[in-house]
Amino acid sequence: MIRETAWRIFAGELNSSQLEMKGEEEKSPSYLITPLGAKVNRVLLAGVLMEKENIGSEEEPMWKARVQDPTGSFFINAGRYQPEASAALAQMEAPRFVAVVGKTKTFSPDDGRVFVSVRPERIVTVDEDARDRWVLEACQSTWTRMKALRSALAMDTPDENELVKKGMNPVLANGILEAIGYYGVSESSRYLRMLQDGLRMILPDQHIDLGLPGDDADLPDEIDIDPEKAGSDLDQEDLILSFLEILDTDGKGAPFADLQKEAEKEGIGAAQLEEVTNSLMDKGLVYEPVLGRLKKI
Amino acid sequence: MEIEELTPTIEEMKRVLEGKIDESTLIEELNTYLNIYKVSLEAAKRGILRKYGGDSGFVTAESINKKIDALEGNEQNVDLLARVVFIEDREIQTKNGPRNISSGILGDDTGTVPFTSWESGKFQLEKGVTYLFKNLYAKTWNEKVQINLGSRAEVERKDDVNLGMPERTYSYSSHEAKVSELREGMSSVTVTGKILSVGPKEITSRGEKKTIYTGILADETGKVEFSAWEDFGLSDEEVIQVKNAYVRAWRGIPQLNIGDRSEISRVDDDFDDSMGIGESSIKSIGELIEVGGGLDITVLGCVVDLRAGSGLIKRCPECNRSVFNDECASHGRIVPVQDLRMKAVIDDGSGALTAIINRDISEALSGITLEEAVDMARSSLDSDAVSHRMEERIIGRWVKARGNAISDEYGLMLICREASLDQLDVKAEAEKLLKELEVMM
Repeated sequence: MIRETAWRIFAGELNSSQLEMKGEEEKSPSYLITPLGAKVNRVLLAGVLMEKENIGSEEEPMWKARVQDPTGSFFINAGRYQPEASAALAQMEAPRFVAVVGKTKTFSPDDGRVFVSVRPERIVTVDEDARDRWVLEACQSTWTRMKALRSALAMDTPDENELVKKGMNPVLANGILEAIGYYGVSESSRYLRMLQDGLRMILPDQHIDLGLPGDDADLPDEIDIDPEKAGSDLDQEDLILSFLEILDTDGKGAPFADLQKEAEKEGIGAAQLEEVTNSLMDKGLVYEPVLGRLKKI
Repeated sequence: MEIEELTPTIEEMKRVLEGKIDESTLIEELNTYLNIYKVSLEAAKRGILRKYGGDSGFVTAESINKKIDALEGNEQNVDLLARVVFIEDREIQTKNGPRNISSGILGDDTGTVPFTSWESGKFQLEKGVTYLFKNLYAKTWNEKVQINLGSRAEVERKDDVNLGMPERTYSYSSHEAKVSELREGMSSVTVTGKILSVGPKEITSRGEKKTIYTGILADETGKVEFSAWEDFGLSDEEVIQVKNAYVRAWRGIPQLNIGDRSEISRVDDDFDDSMGIGESSIKSIGELIEVGGGLDITVLGCVVDLRAGSGLIKRCPECNRSVFNDECASHGRIVPVQDLRMKAVIDDGSGALTAIINRDISEALSGITLEEAVDMARSSLDSDAVSHRMEERIIGRWVKARGNAISDEYGLMLICREASLDQLDVKAEAEKLLKELEVMM
């Protein structure tokens, strides 16, 4: 069996993925189709290990960790079936540069949302140069997919075989077609912004400005979940509570700005977030230890 | 080739692969092999089966319909719609006494092929008549395909079919290819390159001693091993053009065969050193998986795993095979020799391969010498201590590795001749990408 390629893909793109192609047979692999058409089973990622936590027991650890890249965070879960990665995580302290090789996993509550995480096969400490090289490769591969998507959309009826004939990698051509069918036309400024963020990290001295539309481009575009579908308020409350836990790194509460960022990735806008946090405060589940921070009781 | 023509093949392969591949992927793969790399159907099938882990032995379990130029010479069960171009009856001696057979030539619109009917009395074949031949088997004799009508063969006369056979039955049309474009199963291919080395080699072919000439041919895209089945008087450093050669593969590495139908001419080509002739060619791993392998390849990628069998290992002093428990399968109880080895999975984003890395290179890459490794294993009492330390040093690092790439049942491997940590000017590459982005905006 051919080994699945480790895709270099930014957190921003990976976490926006909602379409999963389940293997039909027991042993055939499942793939996550990203909005730009990557057909992902395995990823290689690098970034800053922001936090780690053992939510299992000492005997049977279950590590949760968050690794940040220029575009967002990868959520890492390693348990007893990932012995190498678990052992490595146990000995690491945040923050540090890490590289992770692992399989993408999805979790979807009944409301149709999809949460993407990475189950690591390997997690190692790397240096800044290695992190930068990964950011470069993620930029290059994002750009390749954007160009591929563009050439598919330029066709009257996008056709997989035609794309392959033009020299596109067959796996990518397949992913691109699946992506167009499911996500429709993705907002390219969102992904250009990821490229810009990546390149700014590698070339901090050049004031890179691709002239993208205003900062609101960070907001989710049409591929994100429409609030109607995003489940009841109660689910959102649970989600926010779990974010508060993750983001509360020093015990002084989660910075509101970080919470807002995470919520935005899940399609919860600022106004909505305020509603949810107000409701949580009314219920006495959270409080504001200092201005701008929120803490779970 | 149109998908409709492939329906029997697709059905057959789906059966053999038993759900390891879905139909759309299969069609996509066939399309890639046939329409992009232009290899024969038989080679495409083998390639896909190797990739998805089917057993190619079963492929020909049911008969498949072929044109003559698609015959590979190893079909067990094949159907042909063809005209008898020539036929004669012969008597041969067998250990059961004399036997009557018929032999001759069959033709269709794609070419001709010699055939033998072993049940001569069973079919009354007539010269110039078109038949549908069923359940034939093919063999290769002196590098040429032969068709056999055995006891299972069936023949139907087809008077109403016009095969559209060309006037000239042998087709010498040859297409040009660069070395990097050579794929298993190609025939009638023309290649121009410089001979890096050549020498005679004694082989035994069907009980007969024969001298063939083997060596390495290179152009600016790569190197390929060749075998000339005749003496063309080839010598080192010559630039030649080979016409009507064909490509077979050994463990996935394409090899150029120069047979008796091939022509060789000396060319006045300006293959000078500036073109990088004879240098290792840098390939993406995805491309290598597609081709199956290659000679003197360089890949650049990130080490994403170390496989079992990496670290401190023991070898038999007689045969150098790795052993467990001081016991060699061939040489019994032995005093093993300690060795250091890495089996590193390198991934470049287009695919992954396993690099087999010997002691010297492993020492340099990991910074752990064999002596240190022996001490480490002894003092920690953990047989995996060395491989764990190597993992820490090498996983997540980008490497540049050079060697021959081969395929077997475990997938693509690179037998490393050189390997080192790769230093890339990330800033320069980022600036290149930025320029491209700015142009597109």
